[in-house]
Amino acid sequence: MASSSSSSSSSSYSNPPCAACKFLRRKCQPTLCIFAPYFPPEDPTKFSNVHRIFGASNVSKLLNDIMPHQREDAVNSLAYEAEARLKDPVYGCVGAISLLQSQVAQLQKELDATNADLMRFTTINNNNNHGRVAGYGGGSDPNYSGFSLPYSNPGGEDANYS
Amino acid sequence: MTIKSGTGQACAACKYQRRRCTPECLLAPFFPADQPKMFQNVHRLFGVKNIQNLLKELRPDQKVTAMKSIKFHALQRDKYPVHGCLFEIRHLNYQIQMAEDELQAVLQQLAYYRQQQQQQQQQQQQQQQQQQQIAATEDYMSELQLGVAPPRNAPFSLEDNNVVPQYNCVAPQASYSNSGNVDYSINYLDFKENNNVVNSFCEQQQHQQEQQQQTYSNSNDNNTSSMVVHPAHLIVPQALCVQQEIGQDYNEMHSFFDCVDDTQSYIGSKEACDSSLDSSPSKDTRQLVHEEMAENELKSAAAFFSLTSVN
Repeated sequence: MASSSSSSSSSSYSNPPCAACKFLRRKCQPTLCIFAPYFPPEDPTKFSNVHRIFGASNVSKLLNDIMPHQREDAVNSLAYEAEARLKDPVYGCVGAISLLQSQVAQLQKELDATNADLMRFTTINNNNNHGRVAGYGGGSDPNYSGFSLPYSNPGGEDANYS
Repeated sequence: MTIKSGTGQACAACKYQRRRCTPECLLAPFFPADQPKMFQNVHRLFGVKNIQNLLKELRPDQKVTAMKSIKFHALQRDKYPVHGCLFEIRHLNYQIQMAEDELQAVLQQLAYYRQQQQQQQQQQQQQQQQQQQIAATEDYMSELQLGVAPPRNAPFSLEDNNVVPQYNCVAPQASYSNSGNVDYSINYLDFKENNNVVNSFCEQQQHQQEQQQQTYSNSNDNNTSSMVVHPAHLIVPQALCVQQEIGQDYNEMHSFFDCVDDTQSYIGSKEACDSSLDSSPSKDTRQLVHEEMAENELKSAAAFFSLTSVN
């Protein structure tokens, strides 16, 4: 009898509760619990962070509004945002975005300046080649895809233009 | 029924929650009544309680910045329900990667063009140097043709170093044969750039003088005026000449050798030689020979010094 009761009790607890149900101290039914697939019991910190910032009810509403195959990505993004907000209460993950935006702007500025130098060099080379038009595939290196290189002349032909 | 705050209309938070908006409302400064959608996004993602908990731990100056980031966060989540802010972060990372790749490609192209430019500059410099050398040799040739060249025959060829200057045919007959050599060597001082030509000319002079000395020593020519003294061989030809010309009177030759062999102290010993010559029986002939030798030695010494200065 004891074994049957233990077996019946063990059958209900054959699957350990998810981290969300364990944190919320409620009964976890894997088929019904919306958090169970995404918050395994091995990682309790993940749900605690999400719950502190967003709240369990808000997360469950959000997960119910999106497709099941997208829920894992949503949970992962929420976990990332919650962790960022806990580390930086003022800016959160928006601080990372502003930092990346400044890097993009700086890179774009540097790229513009380098492109301007490159245009200057190609203009000089075109003038040195006495009007040879820059064309595609005219001896261009495949590594330099996306840019048109001037026609590369052999050394002997340029010797006459001294 | 919503009770309006003392300042006026209820804030969007209180309006959404349908409650009284007091002056102490924490969210009123951040959610004006004309932006209800903003609060809805924030409320949907965070909730009022969580927002209040977040603002409770911050300073007043930090609250404004925090609320701006929260609003942005909620707006991103509203635009992208699955990824939220991560969508923007991934997009920016992608832009950075693309920009870095493009920058690397452009820098490689720039390095390529700069290398080409340097090579062109080096080639131009080499061409300029060659042109300068050609111009220098052309100037040299023009100088030769203008008057410095030998009078009869073809001008001296720079390419053929084995050609002997033709002016040598005049030298053995004239008494002042070295004058031509001296003048020619002095003019060569102007062409210091073409050292090969100068060196080859000096070598040809030496070869020519050696040939003349050898023929002169082998012959019994009594023409004392035909002595050709080379600066490098100043001692030997004089000894040979003296031996052939004055071989009979050995006793008197000893004193004469003393003043002739000492070439470096020629100027100092000239008076001694003159005094020794004065006591000789054949004074006229010895004096004539001595005078001619003195002149030749002066000229040869001058030529020697000029040639050494060239080298």
